Amino acid sequence: MLEIKDLHAGFEGTEIVKGISLTVNKGEIHAIMGPNGSGKSTLSKILAGHPSYEAMGGTVTFMGKDLLELSPDQRALEGIFLGFQYPVEVPGVNNAEFLRMAYNAKMARQGKEELDPLDFDDILDEKMKLVGMDPKYKDRSLNEGFSGGEKKKNEILQMAVLQPKLAILDETDSGLDIDALRVVANGVNKLVNQDNAIILITHYQRLLEYVKPHYVHVLSKGKIVKSGDKSLALDLEAQGYDWLTPIPK
Amino acid sequence: MPTTLTDTPSGAESLILDLHGKYLEEARPPEPFKGLNLASVRRFETLKFPHPKHDLFSFVNAKELAWTRFQLQRDSRIGKDIVRDHVYPGCEKSVLVVADGTFRPDLSDRSALPSQVKVSSLREAVADPAIARYLAETIESENDVFAAINGAFFSDGLYLEVEPAALVEAPALILYISSGSASHPTMTVPRVLAKVGRHSEVKIVVKYAGAGGNYFVNSTQDFILEENSKVLYTHIQADPFESWSFAKDRVHLNRYSRFHGVNVYSGCKLARRHHEVHLEDSGAELKLDGVSVLTGREQAHNLVRVHHEAPQCASAQHFKNIVNESSRSSFDGSVIVNKGAQLTNSDQLINNLMLSDDAHADSKPNLMIYADDVKCTHGSTVGQLDEEQLFYLNSRGLSQGMAKSLLTRSFAESILGEIQVPAVASDLRGILSKKLEADHA
Repeated sequence: MLEIKDLHAGFEGTEIVKGISLTVNKGEIHAIMGPNGSGKSTLSKILAGHPSYEAMGGTVTFMGKDLLELSPDQRALEGIFLGFQYPVEVPGVNNAEFLRMAYNAKMARQGKEELDPLDFDDILDEKMKLVGMDPKYKDRSLNEGFSGGEKKKNEILQMAVLQPKLAILDETDSGLDIDALRVVANGVNKLVNQDNAIILITHYQRLLEYVKPHYVHVLSKGKIVKSGDKSLALDLEAQGYDWLTPIPK
Repeated sequence: MPTTLTDTPSGAESLILDLHGKYLEEARPPEPFKGLNLASVRRFETLKFPHPKHDLFSFVNAKELAWTRFQLQRDSRIGKDIVRDHVYPGCEKSVLVVADGTFRPDLSDRSALPSQVKVSSLREAVADPAIARYLAETIESENDVFAAINGAFFSDGLYLEVEPAALVEAPALILYISSGSASHPTMTVPRVLAKVGRHSEVKIVVKYAGAGGNYFVNSTQDFILEENSKVLYTHIQADPFESWSFAKDRVHLNRYSRFHGVNVYSGCKLARRHHEVHLEDSGAELKLDGVSVLTGREQAHNLVRVHHEAPQCASAQHFKNIVNESSRSSFDGSVIVNKGAQLTNSDQLINNLMLSDDAHADSKPNLMIYADDVKCTHGSTVGQLDEEQLFYLNSRGLSQGMAKSLLTRSFAESILGEIQVPAVASDLRGILSKKLEADHA
């Protein structure tokens, strides 16, 4: 589904991701862990197409297409979803209306009929129940004044509505108390199936107690320095990141 | 018109004076209008057209307007069809039409307005000496040259009076429609005087529109709010581009009365609103909001003068301007807190959203405080669309155009959301969206 080959990328001319290769197949959950500044967020932003980040080398292929050639909205319509570490507040944009617009953009792309607010409301109610979100958030402005936990739930809600092929969840667990974490993880687990894939980007191991990854990769100084199964996450939790040094080429 | 224009339009006054001579001869206004017209034309001669540094016209270039040789609109072409096009749902039976400056009972329908709302022409209303006196005093103290021009040419208008203790449910829609003329520029001088009695509450919607272009609608509107009354006012400027749309709104607030105005501008060749508000007795409250969405070469200018004349009054202003392409907006607002107006609360905020490099927005918030125990704030911001918000929306599959339009609408929404007549608010949302989509397509 996703094939990253020797990707180099950065921000304002500074290279932060220094040669990452990674293959993600349908039905897989990958966790990318690493200390602050290791390039985790840069990787997620370059995959989603943030305009401030640039690819400096390598290739990224998604469902057979050159991902780096696509604009952020085209990537979304192809099935990529980025769950933001810091979801953006957009005052004045109604949460439900925004979700319907995003949903209908996807429907239009697939040549399906767009939904009016009433029909969409049924879908929205169902998905809000799934992620344990109070219906009152439908009528609020997008993320405006939401608590940290509600913002993260709202990201998972968007994911539930848009049903992406590949979801990249960037530090979705950070800043959550244990109850919110459980709700978010529960939502993610309900959305995983044999046809989609998830990349969990996280600093801590605790999310992985709730969402079981098939693979764990450790990122340090812009490179994947170790890959393994979920036991790697436990080692990291016990020993920290210091024992890992970049693998010499 | 001279081929070269000097920086000041001095001399352009003669065009108005010539027109005034013709007007007196042909229209033969009855008293007291003739006397008011003559007093007003003297005010006009004293005030003169503004030079570029005039403090009421800091950002408005009225040179072309001053040098335009206008004729007075004689043949009104306004019929029921165009009225129907501009009536908001829910206002069909509470619509008062002012066509080319003249109140037209035949095009109006006031059947949904209760009997406590009295509607008449100003000609009838001036029989009341208090009204005639108010008009005379207003004209004598007029400081805006364009309002003085209105006073020099008006010989009728609309008078609205809400009796005490009336709760008026149906919004009163005052529709200003100008015919315009293909052959020569025309000027109309609508005048509205509204008096709201003690403990009454009324919603007033005012809309400016035109059948054609090439007109100068130069109106004045006076609102007198008696004790503990409340006016919810929505003002919509929707004239076609080829027009000049000027208005002076004067508001007198008595003890504990409240005026909440929302001003919406579509812009035209030159739109200007002068808001003059007097908080005359304690406990009065003013809320004045505005939003303009401008593209092409459209202009919309706001001049606000809020006079706190009594203690414990509050005023809050919030204006937002969205300027795209080569459009221009300005806000020049002063809050004057007079000596003795202790415990005044006053806020003023202007937000400008610049969508292109050629667009222009000026802000001049100003405070003049002569009392020592007051709380006043003012501020102004200028910005572009937020890159992070755009990316966030893009990342959910919304195209750049959709995301821009959505964010721009959301910028306007905090003002549109203040409009208390839902049909008007949703109509305006539609118009603004269309304007924004045309641009981002």
